[in-house]
Amino acid sequence: MTSITKLNQWLQAGLITPAQHANILSFEAEHRQHSNGWLYSFMILGAAIIGLGVISLIAANWATIPETVKLGVDFALLTLLALGVFWQYPKRHNGVWFEVLLVGFMLLCLASIGLIAQVFHLGGKWYHALLFWAAITFLLSLFARNLFTRFFWVTLLLQGLIWSLVALTNPNISEHWEALPSVLLLAPLLIAVLYYATTHSKLLRGFTSSLFFWFQIAAIIALAFADIVRSGGEMTDYQVAWFVPAYVAAVLLAVGILLHKEYRWLNKLLLLGALGLLLLYYHPDLLFNGQSRYSLFGSQAHAGVGFWQADDIRAPLLTLTILFLYALHAGNSGHQRTFNLITFLIGLRFVILYFQAMGGLAATGVGLIISGSLIIGITWLWYKGRDRLREWTKRLQA
Amino acid sequence: MNRRSWLIIALVVPILALASSVYLKNAQRNRGTEVILPISGFDPRDLLSGHYLIYRVDYGVAEGCGAQQGQASVCLRPTRGLYPAGALPEDCTLFIHGQCDGGVFSAGIERFYIPEAYAYALEQQVRDHKGELVLGVDSQGNAAIRDLLLDGKPWKNVVGGMD
Repeated sequence: MTSITKLNQWLQAGLITPAQHANILSFEAEHRQHSNGWLYSFMILGAAIIGLGVISLIAANWATIPETVKLGVDFALLTLLALGVFWQYPKRHNGVWFEVLLVGFMLLCLASIGLIAQVFHLGGKWYHALLFWAAITFLLSLFARNLFTRFFWVTLLLQGLIWSLVALTNPNISEHWEALPSVLLLAPLLIAVLYYATTHSKLLRGFTSSLFFWFQIAAIIALAFADIVRSGGEMTDYQVAWFVPAYVAAVLLAVGILLHKEYRWLNKLLLLGALGLLLLYYHPDLLFNGQSRYSLFGSQAHAGVGFWQADDIRAPLLTLTILFLYALHAGNSGHQRTFNLITFLIGLRFVILYFQAMGGLAATGVGLIISGSLIIGITWLWYKGRDRLREWTKRLQA
Repeated sequence: MNRRSWLIIALVVPILALASSVYLKNAQRNRGTEVILPISGFDPRDLLSGHYLIYRVDYGVAEGCGAQQGQASVCLRPTRGLYPAGALPEDCTLFIHGQCDGGVFSAGIERFYIPEAYAYALEQQVRDHKGELVLGVDSQGNAAIRDLLLDGKPWKNVVGGMD
């Protein structure tokens, strides 16, 4: 529903007077933005595709063209784009060209790194190249006005930074995929540290929303991964040293949480609790040994394995506890969308837990009826109970 | 400083950084001592990856990394040998720094970019142990690739004969 339609409804309902209605319409007409999001997005998408085309052309590796010509054309293009960005700077509020040229320049910088690697046959890692690119374009990214440009820069920075940090303790990470958990643990912790850092700086605040988006994605992936592999008794063959970057990030994050001025003591406790449990989840051999499994109705033997000692019981309990702590924090801080997402995930995990425990039963008619009822029941409980739960979390501090 | 000045700096920094990178790599490649080392495909299935060749450089060292991990150096003159970081013999006049991982020594020269059209033919030659790498090695132990030789000839000459 458009805002004008809504305005007309309010007028008909008597909520606003005709004079107010006219004033609002006049104000909106005067302050209407000259550019729209779609135009920006498509122009930037076009620039991004052109950049990818340049990268592809370089990747085609023209053997017949002398390297001096390749590099010369590349630097000439870079200079032309830089001049274009500077020329469009005064018109940045009224047009899209400043942003398009800016994205084009940043992409060409990335393509240039690829070209240099090709000309000199450099055997470096892709994540070091991304980190180098992010470093040299950092100042430029501060001039970006569009969310997409900042999001693009943040995305590549995070890829470069996370993989480079993990490679410090495990140089050939691409050949040691058993070290993947250390990447998945480091990602949300490092992004959260960067998120807190940007909230303290006015200059960097433009990156906050992109970092928060990636934090949520990375955290959900980290939790889901730990849950799946721990429940399955995997992740038993890895070294504590691989997790050192993640532990350093965890310490920085804990300091960031403790020093956060807007958090009350309850929020700090909830976040530190969730952080501690996530570290426990990933830490080798503290809570999980990969051997103890307890299948409620399955055929696996579980003699000698206590209910609370079993990996496939501890994993979902940890997941649910971490989600619950974070949901309390989100509800208590007034982050409604995050609260809704996390409580939805809690419900989803309960449903998965049911299928894990009674997977065989779900194949029968009665089992399917119970499963369907459970899904409806949990959805209904979530829908009816989330507002009350949110109110309760808000009152917790008092 | 106003925002326009900052924008100029923001635009010049990447161009300067990339130009410096080109200058340094070029200097490293051209100024060092020339060394020719044979290469071979270490795993035929993974030899060709996209538009570059991956190979194993034969440093002429009898014993490889073994269980050794981390920073290491290969001495090329006067006597060839592989040593842990900081343990190079004092009389070693030409060496390459790199690192040991999984029993293999690597020095960042294990990749050679090639045109896609000649990829298969070049892969075969390297697999048949006909490849050699021409390197420039500086006094700091950094190695840079100058050329790829096939049967003793620059690869571009060989490729010219394939057309």
